[in-house]
Amino acid sequence: MPPFIRVSGLSKSYGGVHALKRVCMDIAKGEIHALCGENGAGKSTLIKSLTGVVIPEEGTISIDGKPLPPGNVQASEAAGIAVIHQESTAFPSLNTLDNIFVGREPFTAGGLFLDKARMRGEATKMLKRLGQNFDIDCPVIELSVAQRQMVAMARALSQKCEFLILDEPTASLSAKETDSLLAIVRQLRNEGVTILYVSHRLEEIFEIADRVTVLRDGERVDTQSVANLNRSALIFLMVGRELEELTQRHEHAGEPGEVRLEVLGLTNPGVFENIDLRIQAGEIVGLAGLVGAGRSEIARAIFGLDRYSKGKVKVNGQMLTGGSVKQAMSAGLSLVPEDRQHEGLILPMSVGANLSMAVLGKLTNRGLVDPRLERDLVEKLMSDLLIKAASQEFPAETLSGGNQQKLVIGKWIAAKPQVLILDEPTRGVDIAAKAQVHRLIRNLASKGLATLIISSDMNEVLSISDRIIVMREGRISGEIRGREATRELVLDLALPQEKEVLA
Amino acid sequence: MNFMSRLLRQREYGLTAVILIIGASVAFIDTGFLAAGNLKDLIIRCAPTAIVACGVMLVVLTGEIDISVGSLMALLAALMGMMISETRMEISMWLGLPATLLLGTLVGAFTGALVTLGKVPSIIVTLGLLTALRGLTTLIMGGNNIDGLPDGLGQMTKYGVLGMPISVWTAIAVIIVTGVIITKTALGRRLFAVGSSRYSAKMVGLNETRLKLFAFAYTGFLTGLATVVDVPRLPKIEAGIGIGFELLVITCVVVGGVSISGGRGKLRGVLLAVLLMTMIRPALTFMDVGESGEKWTRAIQGMFILLAVITDSIVQRRRKRRLHDL
Amino acid sequence: MTFKERLRTFRWWHELGLVILIIGLLAVAGTLMPRFLDLKSQLLLSRHIWEMAILALAITLIIITGGIDLSVGAAMGLCAVAFGMTFQYTGSLVLSCVAAMLTGGLGGAVNGALISKIKVHPLIVTLATYAAFRGIAEGLSQGVSYSQFGEEFSQIARGKWFGVPIPAYLFLAMAVACAVFLSKTPTGRFIYAIGHNEKAARFSGIDVDRIKFWLYASSGMLAGLATLVYVSRFDTAKADAGTGFELEIITAVVVGGTSIFGGRGNIAGTVLGLLLIHETRLFVGRYWQMDELKSIIIGALLIASILLYRILSPKKGRE
Repeated sequence: MPPFIRVSGLSKSYGGVHALKRVCMDIAKGEIHALCGENGAGKSTLIKSLTGVVIPEEGTISIDGKPLPPGNVQASEAAGIAVIHQESTAFPSLNTLDNIFVGREPFTAGGLFLDKARMRGEATKMLKRLGQNFDIDCPVIELSVAQRQMVAMARALSQKCEFLILDEPTASLSAKETDSLLAIVRQLRNEGVTILYVSHRLEEIFEIADRVTVLRDGERVDTQSVANLNRSALIFLMVGRELEELTQRHEHAGEPGEVRLEVLGLTNPGVFENIDLRIQAGEIVGLAGLVGAGRSEIARAIFGLDRYSKGKVKVNGQMLTGGSVKQAMSAGLSLVPEDRQHEGLILPMSVGANLSMAVLGKLTNRGLVDPRLERDLVEKLMSDLLIKAASQEFPAETLSGGNQQKLVIGKWIAAKPQVLILDEPTRGVDIAAKAQVHRLIRNLASKGLATLIISSDMNEVLSISDRIIVMREGRISGEIRGREATRELVLDLALPQEKEVLA
Repeated sequence: MNFMSRLLRQREYGLTAVILIIGASVAFIDTGFLAAGNLKDLIIRCAPTAIVACGVMLVVLTGEIDISVGSLMALLAALMGMMISETRMEISMWLGLPATLLLGTLVGAFTGALVTLGKVPSIIVTLGLLTALRGLTTLIMGGNNIDGLPDGLGQMTKYGVLGMPISVWTAIAVIIVTGVIITKTALGRRLFAVGSSRYSAKMVGLNETRLKLFAFAYTGFLTGLATVVDVPRLPKIEAGIGIGFELLVITCVVVGGVSISGGRGKLRGVLLAVLLMTMIRPALTFMDVGESGEKWTRAIQGMFILLAVITDSIVQRRRKRRLHDL
Repeated sequence: MTFKERLRTFRWWHELGLVILIIGLLAVAGTLMPRFLDLKSQLLLSRHIWEMAILALAITLIIITGGIDLSVGAAMGLCAVAFGMTFQYTGSLVLSCVAAMLTGGLGGAVNGALISKIKVHPLIVTLATYAAFRGIAEGLSQGVSYSQFGEEFSQIARGKWFGVPIPAYLFLAMAVACAVFLSKTPTGRFIYAIGHNEKAARFSGIDVDRIKFWLYASSGMLAGLATLVYVSRFDTAKADAGTGFELEIITAVVVGGTSIFGGRGNIAGTVLGLLLIHETRLFVGRYWQMDELKSIIIGALLIASILLYRILSPKKGRE
């Protein structure tokens, strides 16, 4: 029996750089096939070729023995291929009904008008199949991320999809939502849908997939049955070498010094309540919790980007009035935001301009920017942080993900902070760059920087923190010393209590 | 949802309330405001704005903007006059009027092509056309006004059928057609979709170019339609026709609650806004503030846009906060 | 750096193109009408451009932040009425000038507050104030035009130093200050940052709201200043002052290479854009003696400049 999906000799390059190099892979009917690889390994290009968004230069794709015309979205859809992206594709201001059917609406007999009754019926049926029950007339912007993903899933199912591609579907879901998503994926497989599952979260792959294909630098490295692999073997395939640092526990060098950041009773009703934090010089504190527990919101409030209704923030003993980034910065606080592409960097501006952005006011001579001061600072930061860029004049967007992340960190180190808050510092960064970032953070801490790390990556929190503070639904649910922390302990504090009762 | 927040959230309720309040207070000063003749006059004044607003609304729904309709109307009026006037080319109006509609559609499609294929932002294209078409109009008319339109046309547009001028019937037809397009056809839902998210629209294989071209061409067609049914009411065609019309139409679309970034809006709201904006001038007249009062019309229209956008932003902010609470 | 790399990183293509266009235009005009290149008549005919040029500086900065100001022309009408009315009641030129500037600043501050504090889209805000300012000017003045402000006042616009009109000096000084501000100060850099990515600018600790507020407020104040020049030139203050200015200014700025999406542009480009449009108008007006052609050409120039830019740099066009 021929494989359901056969990709043979697929190549695609962007401006001379190969994104895919003669990639071949087979996917059997009814399996959950995982696709792994570091950022830039060619996963998204492969997906885009399958869905017809990208026209490959070489090679063919066939589904069920029939060749798929390249670069034709409609043809891919007609062949039963559907994709659900990281940030699930959606029309925010339209309702669920439109989101499910736009582009291939059912018509009434005459072919002129929409068959609303049928749309409604099918939508309700699909959502029921997914175990969902929410208002289908509500604009999807008012739904939760998980619900939006279900809308995307319903869309895929309603188009009689036989081959479903899930591209990082759990990236912004909570653990509970992830569990129910995985359950649905399994159910779909049992109903005969073939699934290509792309994820950075290796545990999910081991939990759900039958086989896994690993890409590295645009080439297929291997396809293996998941049963034959373990975590480190898979990481080995992805990076081509083993990385000890990731699993190594951090041993704190010296005794922490004086209190640098003190937060007392910080409250923003409905978002976070009664938050107390104390971080000392040289200490790395991890802030763990599920997505949506209010961690990024706390960081933004401390930094003065958002207002809060009650509470005090003291940096270096100086009380902040709140709502002023400038004041927070001058007190010695820096925030490396969650989303480097949209919050951390100004991508079209040069590497140099990005690095000096936060301190430009100080690099002046009689009110004008002193180019020499600026260049010196930028050069020093680039060499200190091992930022790889052709030149400091090049736009930040030309850098790789890991280098961009170092750029954001560098930008804030330039401000010589005494307290550094890092929000998801290694999300979407490949494993090698991740290790570099971790080394950098430890280095800074050993020089006396007080660090707060918000991360959804459990390994990261466990390996780097001296102390872990766990949040649950906008409140601090507990604190664990770094040495004593285990996955189970952290998860227990992070998961909503009701769920325990239900389970 | 309590009454106040519904008033704020649903633009139609707020607009209805404002219209009723203004209508009632003016009628209180002078009951003549509610006289049949005056109301009929008000509806006639609404007609061309409503017709064109139906098109511009679709353009704004797709996330674009069109501020060239006033100049386009002038150009089409001039061309129409040149064609069918007894003192000019004297072409039969059964040929000249469809030709005017066709020209309007073509200019609209051209605008759309510049936006979609030429990738020039619509604000720039239509800002450019706003001046260029006006210049073209003056050039064509060469400083003379055009009169001598066929009598039959003047009769129909002035007195019309069943007691209402033809422009009002046309407006009703356009409103029904546009309403059906928006709610009952895939085309309409896709226009919303493109405005809601271009990226998603591309991912589901919608043809953004074709959809936007349609919206612009439809606007051009409707501008032609409004010209044909409304302009012949005037004693003569001047180059100054439609100055400021584009602003009035955009005002109605925005005040009517259509999101300027696309993807959200209701036809009902736009029509109510047309009524509100059109009633300001007669209301000022009836309030007996005389000539001096009417000079404030534009200021009041401007205030209404500001009021509309401020409430809109407050509502948005509240909605965001509500989301946070969830 | 190799020659090829140098070509790739050369940042002044747009300005170079404009210079070539201007030289080309002058060459053609000079061949057809040798008198066209006469410096004296050029200076004489430059009279009406200075108000617009002054305003174009503020609009350049605003468009670089990704905003737009459609209300400047209407603000001039309001400032003119404020000037005229103050003069009528007090007879003091100084007070009238102050009134015009204050009115402009206040109008700009309304725009700025709505845009930066209430976060309404600048296109909508200034479209609304465009109607409101002109409407208030019409309502207040009831169509009256004020005049006879004295010979001395009209010297502001009509006077010359070394054969060059006084407003030209005003403009040049402001253009230099503006260019230095934009390219050399931290705030100038922040203006670009806001245009590229406002959210990231906020996360970088840039006080986006304050910068925006002051940009729109200064645009209003400059409208006040431009009004003074305008009123001085015509010796008339009327509600219709500055009609249609917004379009020509935006055309000049955009033709000058400032991206309507924000993040890109500079003062040199705007100055060249102004020059190109001004010379085109002059040439068309004098050669064909047809005023209508001017507006057609300006409209077409606006569209064509962006269209050309899109065609010539397809990669940058994909935003």
